[in-house]
Amino acid sequence: MTIFAGTAGPGCTISNLVTSEAKVSGLCTAKGSLSIPVEYRSIAPVLILGVAALVLLVLSATLPKRRYPGLWAGLTALAGIATTVDGIVQWANLDNPANTALTVGGQVLYDHFSAFFAILFGCATTLGAAISDSYLSREALDGPEPYVLMLACSAGAVLMAEAAGLITLFLGLEVLSISLYTMTAYHRRRAASGEAGLKYFILGSFSSAVFIYGAALVYGATGSTQYFEIFQFLTGTVVVHDGVLLAGMALLVAGLGFKVAAVPFHFWAPDVYQGAPTPFVGYMAAVAKAAGFAGLLRALMLALPTQVSSWRPAIWVLAVASVLVGSVMALVQADLKRLLAYSSISQAGYVLIGLQAGTQAGWSAASFYLFTYLFMVVGTFAVVGLTQGRGEVRNDLGSIRGLGQRNPWLAGGMLVLLLAQAGVPLTSGFLGKWLVISAVIGKGQYELALIGMVGAAIAAFAYLRVALLMYVPAAPTPARPGQPRGEGGGEPAVAPTGPGAPSGLAEVAGDLEALATAGLGATATAVALRAPSTARLRVPRATAAAIAVCVAFTVFAGVSTPVLSLAHSIGLTWSL
Amino acid sequence: MTVPGPWYLVLAACLFGIGGAGVLVRRNILVMYMCIELMLNGVNLTFVTFSRMLDDLGGQASVFFVLVVAAAEVVVGLGIIVAIYRRRTGATADDVSSLKG
Amino acid sequence: MSFPILDVVVLLPLGAALAIALLPRQAPMALPKWLGLGSGVVELGFVLWTVVAFKTGNNHAGFQFTSREPWFGPLGISWYLGVDGISLFLVAVTALLFPIAMATRPSPEGALPRSYLGWMLVLESACMASFLSLDAFLFFIAFEVTLVPGYFVILGGLGERRAYAATKFFLYTFAGSAFLFVGILATYLLVAARLPAGSPASFDIITLARGAMHLPLADQELLLVAFGVAFAVKMPLVPFHTWMPDAYTQAPTGGSMVLSGILFKLGAYGILRWGIFLFPRAAVDLAPLALTLGAVGVVWGSVVAAMQRDLKRLVAYGTVAGVGFIVVGLFGFTVQGITGGVVEMVNHGLSIGGLFLLVGMVWERRRTHELDQLGGLQTVAPVLGWVFMAVLLSAVGLPGLNGFIGELLVLLGTFITHRWWAVVATSGALLGAIYLLWAYQRVFHGPAKAVNAGIRDMTWGERAAIAPLLAGIVFIGVYPQPLLSRIQPAVDHLVAHIEYADPSLKIPSSGQGHGTFAVPANQVVDVPAGTTSSAAAGRGGRP
Repeated sequence: MTIFAGTAGPGCTISNLVTSEAKVSGLCTAKGSLSIPVEYRSIAPVLILGVAALVLLVLSATLPKRRYPGLWAGLTALAGIATTVDGIVQWANLDNPANTALTVGGQVLYDHFSAFFAILFGCATTLGAAISDSYLSREALDGPEPYVLMLACSAGAVLMAEAAGLITLFLGLEVLSISLYTMTAYHRRRAASGEAGLKYFILGSFSSAVFIYGAALVYGATGSTQYFEIFQFLTGTVVVHDGVLLAGMALLVAGLGFKVAAVPFHFWAPDVYQGAPTPFVGYMAAVAKAAGFAGLLRALMLALPTQVSSWRPAIWVLAVASVLVGSVMALVQADLKRLLAYSSISQAGYVLIGLQAGTQAGWSAASFYLFTYLFMVVGTFAVVGLTQGRGEVRNDLGSIRGLGQRNPWLAGGMLVLLLAQAGVPLTSGFLGKWLVISAVIGKGQYELALIGMVGAAIAAFAYLRVALLMYVPAAPTPARPGQPRGEGGGEPAVAPTGPGAPSGLAEVAGDLEALATAGLGATATAVALRAPSTARLRVPRATAAAIAVCVAFTVFAGVSTPVLSLAHSIGLTWSL
Repeated sequence: MTVPGPWYLVLAACLFGIGGAGVLVRRNILVMYMCIELMLNGVNLTFVTFSRMLDDLGGQASVFFVLVVAAAEVVVGLGIIVAIYRRRTGATADDVSSLKG
Repeated sequence: MSFPILDVVVLLPLGAALAIALLPRQAPMALPKWLGLGSGVVELGFVLWTVVAFKTGNNHAGFQFTSREPWFGPLGISWYLGVDGISLFLVAVTALLFPIAMATRPSPEGALPRSYLGWMLVLESACMASFLSLDAFLFFIAFEVTLVPGYFVILGGLGERRAYAATKFFLYTFAGSAFLFVGILATYLLVAARLPAGSPASFDIITLARGAMHLPLADQELLLVAFGVAFAVKMPLVPFHTWMPDAYTQAPTGGSMVLSGILFKLGAYGILRWGIFLFPRAAVDLAPLALTLGAVGVVWGSVVAAMQRDLKRLVAYGTVAGVGFIVVGLFGFTVQGITGGVVEMVNHGLSIGGLFLLVGMVWERRRTHELDQLGGLQTVAPVLGWVFMAVLLSAVGLPGLNGFIGELLVLLGTFITHRWWAVVATSGALLGAIYLLWAYQRVFHGPAKAVNAGIRDMTWGERAAIAPLLAGIVFIGVYPQPLLSRIQPAVDHLVAHIEYADPSLKIPSSGQGHGTFAVPANQVVDVPAGTTSSAAAGRGGRP
């Protein structure tokens, strides 16, 4: 018996597990016996994150009431690191295929895929905590609560990746979503934050309801909510009247499509990204997307591979729409956070492109893409969080203007992250696109490959515009000849703004401005060009370290093999 | 007289549909929230009906999860709504519009 | 294990760029400059050594100095460098032009900015990697990476619309590369699907060329078009050229030099190495299209250049004509034509690079490129005038200078197989002579205008900068044998490959044979002995 009947071919260890009655006796089918086999090492990441959340709560209740700078973030980062390490240990442990297991009453799947995503969410938690600390103290919001929510959210995300059934997936999804609603609304003094939280909450609950209704219909059509039982049923049975099943699948895809912000289920994303506290947006963009896709990959590839001809066209449409709409809409945004929201929509499109291939190459390409996107997006939003100023007063494109002078290192890092999102070689973003596109070309879908690359070229303009603005002088007035330059900021180490001819500076700034705001409305242009201060931008230490890690990883994963082979062997798990 | 299973399914679909339409159409946030609850209850009815038709306990167990999740959503959702309306007077979605879109 | 000279050639400029980026802010202003120029000169030394040590003769048609390391193992990607006669002199021109370009200041005031030096070195590294790469993935990466430093070099210029020009350059080539991206992946996967079981799939050029040759013709043509679009944008061939005049005129002098002298060669080289070589049959089928675009480019570029009122734009449009000429040579599929095309690439780098350098010198003196504002410079700056004349004559193709050899070979080679295109291209060459000489006349002849009366002649530094280019121009013109003897075997081999792939292609005798056509022992593609000897006989090669 094979898992990828008709698609990827070979059978796998999990299918053998399914046949062994002892392990498969899940919650739903356990009759009489109360001894449910639990493999604790499989749920260790969830336990670490959940226990850390509780520890934070207990500490905050018992410690004397005063401020503890860095304590909460430090503990959260520690839990994140522990999760990452545990994920790596799991990975090593799973190199012995016999350790792959369906456990906790058949609800949790312990394999390379879940270990990979445990590593991913561990990194996301660490980085998220590192970039949030300075933001929260700047906004006078510090306290343990956001970190508790972040830990709970990560626990939910890990659970989604580990789930072996739709109900467990739903539980993870809700733990993740409810934490994110609260994090989005967390900025008490910013009206936009509360509004974004409310919007996210209403639309998120709606999409959760859609998802669980889909699960109910799939349950009705196949008799189970467990992936492998659904799969077994569908391979053993020819479903003649498959209306209920199709409707269920459509609702599942729609519900998770909301979470990953795929077009046409994307309309909440720009508003939420704009309103939510900036570091949380970075964390959310990485984690919600990765977790949603982990669930989608599992559900479609494990439970419903036999229905691939039904769901591939739907995913195809979502993918193309996301890539094109995301790229084009990113071009006309005057708000930096909205621009990045549309960019993340188009990035989701690439993961969908990999997913719809329905092959192992697509599966590992999507995993690689999600893993590397985490670092790009967290780093980018960390920089945005620094340039926006206290109270998030400036989120427009102009806020990043002159960053090349205000802090050349920060601008250099941002440049790398932007180029990576555009897909320029020697960055992980390029390799991700390479893998995704090679997966669809492997299926002979040349038109999709071309659409994807054209979308990348369109999106490149949006990123380039941001990159360009960083190197427009913050003060557009021409400098006097002979004036000593760069008192506060100095010249960027490697940056295009040479000393230049002072006489030509004004016109050049004009050209840059015209280009940087091409396509925006008149009001937006006026706002976008308000020059920010020219004072040197100070970067708090933890944030600087997080950004440095993000940039270093983006380059590292783009030029070397370790992450690639990690993602590559996820696919291999299923072809043993 | 026994009511056939599919009738329950149709009823559940109607509940879900009414709830979904309510979320998309109504403007009062509390009503929108109630509509989401209606959707979830449609889901619950579906699970129970299928469970009965398939003679499988799994569906009924799932209902408990959905109920718990719905309760958790109420807590958080009402918290957010209250936090917003401490600053405002009315409670309609049109007031919440300082964000584009 | 010999000294990995090509790895050094690729990585040395990158290392120098990193060093410049990491220099402390307090470092003396001159240090980055000497670091940049010094590394450029050392690089040139390595390249010259490669040229000297390069083995000639028909037994050495394959790649030399190869160096190969696995890179992304699971994907069949390796770091694979090597040089043959086709790429050797392009590498040499690259190494020659970059130090000169780096020595030119992007702005008249102040020292050389570090950022400019840094990006130029990165660009040099990427160009070297593109020319030397024998792995399609590595080639694509290098080809694409040239955009980033290219973008910042253009942005470092003084033009008022430099941001517009830089962005246009980036987006046009990025969009073009999208096709190359899909094309390379598709070639790889199609070839991998046809490999016998057990042999590993790979992106290296030999595996790809062996496999791609046997793909269905329709597939080959589609793939060649996908490759061709990317290269045509980069070159730029006529319908895809609109980014070019903006980019070349807005860039600083050094930027224009390397953009026109080297970067566009990436396109021409790419079409030869990765287009014609991988898909010879499709190339033969599509040759009329390419020849037409090339011939149109020659005529159109010359006409538009003649109408320009701006000296720098004039030279920029001259590049379009030059590119068209090279394409006409490459798609003639004769030994002479392709050799001529390769020689023209080298020549073009020297002469157009030199012209941009001289135009930059004129600009430094007069702060204008307007032909109306210039005039009579010959009397006040005689040395500048004579040097300009020499470089210009090389571009025109005067016998005794380098341009003549290349143009003659191109026209001879293509005339045999595609007569009328060659005739059109010849007329273009005549037009080229007209517009260049006319421009020269307007800038240098006549009475010196009052504003021009006070300008100084070439400084010793400027003379030193142009001297290597002049030396190259004269040397190739007078004694082309070292050049031809190195290019020839590789081209012979390429033509044999094309003929093997498409036996219907009858290449008539040219009477210009360059020696016997023994099949190289280390050649890339298996050509059965019978085929080769008949091909050699068909070409009428004689000792």
